[in-house]
Amino acid sequence: MSDQRIDNKVVGELREVMGSQYAELLETFLADCEKRMVQLRDARSPRQLSEAAHSFKGSCSNMGATDLAELCRQLEVRVMEQPAHGIEDLISQIRCEYLEVRPFYVAELERVSPQAARHPV
Amino acid sequence: MNEQSSLTVLIAEDGATDRLLLARIVREQGHSVITAENGAQAVALFAELRPQLVLLDALMPVMDGFEAARQIKLMAGQALVPIIFLTSLSEEQALVRCLEAGGDDFLPKPYRPVILAAKIKAMDRLRRLQATVLEQRDELARHHGHLLNEQRVAKAVFDQVTHSGCLNAPNIRYLQSPYALFNGDLLLAAFTPTGEMHVLLGDFTGHGLPAAVGAMPLAEVFYGMTAKGYGLAETLREMNAKLKRILPVDMFCCAMMLSLSFERRLAEVWNGGMPDGYLLPAAGGEPQALVSRHLPLGVLAPERFDEHPEVVSLALGDRLFLLSDGVVDTCDQDEQLFGVERLRQVFARNRAPQHLFEDVLQALEDFRGQSRDDVSMLEISVVEPQTLAPPPLVYSDSGQSSPLDWSLSFEFRAQTLKRFNPLPYLLQVLQEIHGLRPQSGALHSVLNELYTNALEHGVLALDSALKRDAQGFAAYYQERSRRLQALQEGYIRLHLQVEPVAGGGRLVIEIEDSGSGFDVGTVLARPVLEQRLCGRGLSLIRRLSRHAEWADGGRRARVEFAWVALA
Amino acid sequence: MAVEHDLSPDGNSLTIRVKGRFDFGKHQAFRECYEREPVPSKGVVVDLKDATYLDSSALGMLLLLRDHAGGDDAYIRVINASSDVRKILAISNFDKLFEIT
Repeated sequence: MSDQRIDNKVVGELREVMGSQYAELLETFLADCEKRMVQLRDARSPRQLSEAAHSFKGSCSNMGATDLAELCRQLEVRVMEQPAHGIEDLISQIRCEYLEVRPFYVAELERVSPQAARHPV
Repeated sequence: MNEQSSLTVLIAEDGATDRLLLARIVREQGHSVITAENGAQAVALFAELRPQLVLLDALMPVMDGFEAARQIKLMAGQALVPIIFLTSLSEEQALVRCLEAGGDDFLPKPYRPVILAAKIKAMDRLRRLQATVLEQRDELARHHGHLLNEQRVAKAVFDQVTHSGCLNAPNIRYLQSPYALFNGDLLLAAFTPTGEMHVLLGDFTGHGLPAAVGAMPLAEVFYGMTAKGYGLAETLREMNAKLKRILPVDMFCCAMMLSLSFERRLAEVWNGGMPDGYLLPAAGGEPQALVSRHLPLGVLAPERFDEHPEVVSLALGDRLFLLSDGVVDTCDQDEQLFGVERLRQVFARNRAPQHLFEDVLQALEDFRGQSRDDVSMLEISVVEPQTLAPPPLVYSDSGQSSPLDWSLSFEFRAQTLKRFNPLPYLLQVLQEIHGLRPQSGALHSVLNELYTNALEHGVLALDSALKRDAQGFAAYYQERSRRLQALQEGYIRLHLQVEPVAGGGRLVIEIEDSGSGFDVGTVLARPVLEQRLCGRGLSLIRRLSRHAEWADGGRRARVEFAWVALA
Repeated sequence: MAVEHDLSPDGNSLTIRVKGRFDFGKHQAFRECYEREPVPSKGVVVDLKDATYLDSSALGMLLLLRDHAGGDDAYIRVINASSDVRKILAISNFDKLFEIT
């Protein structure tokens, strides 16, 4: 699934380079995502929002979640522009996209580490 | 530097995913990793663990990557600790900030292990290059310090030797760079036992240690032979032979040597390869150049060496000015030489003799705008001999074994007279007599006068009347040299007799030559001044000895010294 | 190359040409001109036509050449020296060892 959303070449490289730590990376990423979703929701200033988007963008691109990274990039830029419009819309797009890709990473985790996947974050 | 070294890498990144991924990639490449979640942690970890390479996220909570980079670079000092910024920053402005904060490279996300490996490798190369440069710089500094110290020690030792002479005599002024020894410049001065002043200004080829090593043996011969009463010619011969023996073929010593007799008001001058020296007459007028007529010391084999000096007459207040090639060879920006003409102009303009050195230095400075460190100058004034007090001779024995009843006869024939000066040997023998030592200066002078008279006026039949003016003076010494070389027969006989008398002892010197004698009565009747100019010095002999008489039509002199026994 | 040399066609005479400053920097090149071959029977010519300056280490190099070419039996001519260079040779009285023209 999600051939457009997820860069399989990047994921393949991750599996190879992480080896035994691949499961740990997936867990960390899923936990990171939850944290970022909260940050996006609770941000008190455009700057906080931009920083959260920036960090999220970095890890998404590293994990091969190409579309999610692109949405984060748009948000990072948009919040610093005046007038800031369409922010809410972008945030909800990010949330939807996250929900789209999350199952892929959970499935990956389940495949390499069934115990860990039983308690998804 | 081809092999990949294992480094300690500090990773500072606030995103847990990216941190974990990066740490894994770097470890896989064989390095050890320490991680920080923000800039402040990164700075603290750097201070504690001193990693060799830093991967820094630009945007981090608590302290961002820019500030962390500045602090880390500050702590690293001169060592290169490469900082690679981890950023997907796309604006130019942000990239500029990374560089300004001390970043050396960037790594964009997503991380590509191959790219990162290549960057770490490249940065490690730079890091090691810088470390090598610093190491070499420190080593150079250490070597330099070492060298300076060695030079200081060598100079201290050498100064002990040079200043054992009479450079501090009241009629000598000199100027020499503190680095002269290592420019190969050399300045020596000493009195002979008869009160003549020997001076040498030398310049060895080259610079540094090679130029300095020849100075010691040269100084040793100079001082040793001068102290024993050898003349200019013998001393030059020995110095040349010694340098020829010990120096490599392409090393030599340009030198100018003077032997000044303030008593007889004349100077013997030998110049081998030095710039012209000058006789600056007290009466004013053109300076007389003392020109190089010989090859430098250490070039010619002893049998080809030419030690013949020029002889110049001196007047009270005349000054002799010697200089190193640092003066005339000073170049301006256009490689023009300062040259002899400009130096002569300085002489002509100089109004205050005591400021001549300063005037020369000023002219050099005006000419080229900076000073050289190989300028040496020396000036000797002609003064009354009694204003100079040659240092007392130092004797190492107690005098208890002093010989007191003996006689000794020599006959020196033509081939010996040509090249050999017997006076130092005779003086050596006479110094064994303890009671005579307080008079040794007078004894040396008298023996010197007697021998010179016997040789020049007796054996060589030179007419002292020639020496009445400066031209005749030069002609006299040219003729002396010519006749001495052509000498086939003739002799000087010398008889020394030492005998104890009540309360002391007595020395009788008899000297006889093969010449035709002179009219003693007429010469002794001349005024003292004229006698001095004409050189026989009979009044000097009379003044310094207890009794002096001439017999056999002036062919034989008999002089007496006496002493009282010491307690 | 600032120091050149060539052997006459009959092999009896060697000419060494020094260009620019004749100082310690030419030491190696100057020696290499004469050290490899035996000394030619008609001696050595040192051509200073294009030499602008000469220092005491150059004098030393001339002495080394002379030594190599037989010392007192060597026949070495120094030719085409400029007036400045001749002055330096004259102060050291090198005309007593070399034929300077």
